[in-house]
Amino acid sequence: MHDKLQFEAMTAMADIDANGGKTSFWRKTPESAALLAFLLAEIVFFSLSSPYFLTWGNWVNVITALSITGVLAAGGTMLLIAGQFDLSVGSGVAFVALVMALTVDSIGILPASALALVVGMGIGVINGFLVTKIGVNALIATLGTLAIFRGLTQSIGGGKNMLISNFDWAIWRPFLNIPLSALVFVLVAIVVGIVLKCSVFGRSIYAIGANENAARLVGIKTKRVVFLSFLLSGAFIGLGGLMSASQLGSTSGTTGLGLELAVVTAVILGGTSLKGGTGTMFGTVIGLLIVGVLNNGLTLMNINSSWQQAATGFLLILAVSFDQLRQRLVGRR
Amino acid sequence: MTTDFLAVRGIRKSFGPVEVLHGVDLDLAAGTITALLGENGAGKSTFVRILAGDHRPDDGTISVDGKAASFHGVGDARDAGIRLIAQEIADAPTLTVAENIVLGAWPTRGGLLDRRAMQRMAEEALDLIGADLPLMAKVANLRLGERQIIEIARATIGTSKCIIFDEATAALSDAEARKLFHLIRRLAERGTAVLYITHRLDEVFTLADRVCVLRDGRVSLDRPTSEVTQDQVIEAMVGRAVAHARYSPGSSFSGAQPVLEAERLGSDAFADISFTLGPGEILGMYGKVGSGVQELAASLVGARTFDRGELFIDGKPAHFRHPAEAIAASIGHLPADRASEGLLPTLTLAENLSAPSWPRLARSGMLSGERLRSAYSRWHRKLRVKADATGDQIITELSGGNQQKVLLGRWLEAGSRILVLTEPTRGVDVGARQEIYRILVELAASGHAIIIATSDYEDVNAVASRALVLVRGRLIAEMPHDRISTETLTEAAGGGVHA
Repeated sequence: MHDKLQFEAMTAMADIDANGGKTSFWRKTPESAALLAFLLAEIVFFSLSSPYFLTWGNWVNVITALSITGVLAAGGTMLLIAGQFDLSVGSGVAFVALVMALTVDSIGILPASALALVVGMGIGVINGFLVTKIGVNALIATLGTLAIFRGLTQSIGGGKNMLISNFDWAIWRPFLNIPLSALVFVLVAIVVGIVLKCSVFGRSIYAIGANENAARLVGIKTKRVVFLSFLLSGAFIGLGGLMSASQLGSTSGTTGLGLELAVVTAVILGGTSLKGGTGTMFGTVIGLLIVGVLNNGLTLMNINSSWQQAATGFLLILAVSFDQLRQRLVGRR
Repeated sequence: MTTDFLAVRGIRKSFGPVEVLHGVDLDLAAGTITALLGENGAGKSTFVRILAGDHRPDDGTISVDGKAASFHGVGDARDAGIRLIAQEIADAPTLTVAENIVLGAWPTRGGLLDRRAMQRMAEEALDLIGADLPLMAKVANLRLGERQIIEIARATIGTSKCIIFDEATAALSDAEARKLFHLIRRLAERGTAVLYITHRLDEVFTLADRVCVLRDGRVSLDRPTSEVTQDQVIEAMVGRAVAHARYSPGSSFSGAQPVLEAERLGSDAFADISFTLGPGEILGMYGKVGSGVQELAASLVGARTFDRGELFIDGKPAHFRHPAEAIAASIGHLPADRASEGLLPTLTLAENLSAPSWPRLARSGMLSGERLRSAYSRWHRKLRVKADATGDQIITELSGGNQQKVLLGRWLEAGSRILVLTEPTRGVDVGARQEIYRILVELAASGHAIIIATSDYEDVNAVASRALVLVRGRLIAEMPHDRISTETLTEAAGGGVHA
């Protein structure tokens, strides 16, 4: 029996090779391997060009600098795997920080923080409602809420820089000299990674992204899962808003500008397909690190931040082109 | 015997280290129709692409009209008079019928498109195959069968001496398929050598003069159709005698309470449908595309709603608003279109098979890969899935028949007692088809209640214990086991026999 099984497995493998041709190497190479190699190359390059690069303090800086983007990217990864988008994260962060700034003096830090979190989740609820109940395409719906909350933030805040005092938890360093905001990011990444990989909710997200129709037919409540994903993305907007308010100690109309693009860049760079159904939180962390290390390294080399932006864009196109090439070699889709 | 237009000798082809064709010989005579059969992976498509100039053989010769030929591309094969009509229709839907027929061979005058010559060419091409289509109609507005006629008309333009049809009827209705066969016969009468690639045995015997079977890259049968039986062809395809699964009446469940009762169900696609289904039964629900069979099946599993009548499961009224509710009522189903409704394409076999069971397999919301793998291994061998036993492969790497087995396994793992299977053998090759029949008979024998909703009478003929026939949304015939046959089914469905 065992022999027969093995034989069957072998013929099945032969079938694959016959169809796929000479591409088994590419098929077997995990998607993250190339990204890890790229990250490593970056690290080697920058450690050669700056002696400060490899120090503990600098690594803490890298993680801290990407902590807000990272928390938002956790939600972005879930959504993109399900075939959805949330472009409202940047303006959402600004709006949440504004709510914090406006209320903290009158109702106190804890109630104001709770309110800010609820407001973030409210943004998620609006997005989820538009996408799952009304049926608006996620790109359009969140493009709309992006504009709405950016506009609200600027008109209510009046374009001023508003101070938020006594709210510096994010820069507190409880152990190993790591700021709390970086620890929050690490925790969120681990939890979302586990949820995606090992929970019914997470598997349902993959199933929906792979084929929403089929997912519904195997009994998954697809709309509920997508709604919950937007709600979670909203919770991360709330958390990101609090981190931003605390890190900066203030907020203005331009807070969080362009964060949505940084999030999408990291998630796509991390190997999540725009078509949905594939991707991991681990990949997104690598994507975040590739961008974060690049920005950090260029800063250490004294290169203007405008160039950093151009470099990030270049990197994104490079990574996606590489992925297209890989898919073509594997010969699928 | 007429002279051979195309003589192929000793064709070999490897991809990387794997040799796919191990020396294939084939003769195509002018004016004859040769059917080429073979299971998925037998090398059919590679062979055909070599004939069409798309691949180059590593070894072997092709001679056209007695002269050695060497094709360096599709253009060379075209010039030699060989045309391929691919499985997927490749037309320009925004252009007219006439423009599509002359596509790529536009007649010009002074560098500009000569519209009058184009009309004439298109008309002649259609006349030649005895078809009639409005030349100025937009192709997008035509039915699939009509678009296929355009493909054939295009293939006859210029010097075309050999036309290869690749699974031409896969998407056609019975009536359209009959028309297609008529066209193919006309082409042969005119002296064209036709190579007809198919999965369907009944087509071979109604259409082909000669049958050629490929198995594992070798020709395992090549004889005139009149000299072989269906069973011989199947044996040549799968390499062993295939035991036909047949439902045997007199099951031990006779007299048991029905598990599913439909009373005067109605919706936009069907009306007044009443029937019962008991454990151990395989109820064949036969009807052509558009008869309402697929919609009725979808209504039974909560994928669609019905707005009139009552459905009872185990005697209790049921009105499913979401497939999850039907699944909770122990109903499993195979959808009509495997790709768009069944597969979770980026997921593994284990994930695909266990998907409806995730809530049950989970421990406080968490699912380990180990549990999914062990769920898969429970069914891997029983269903004889040709794949890695670990279930870690991505499901789209499997052939259609094996994908279908995994999707069937979903409901075995979920413990469904009622199975509603829509087009269970669509796009599945002959060997796997028989295996699926065998599995269904076994499931019925163990007390499952099964509905096969299909437009393929072979499904009903092979395993149904009772049959319902639908025409235009109405239930027009119910047949006991001993009255089911190809003739009675197609007659009741109002179409007459295939071809």
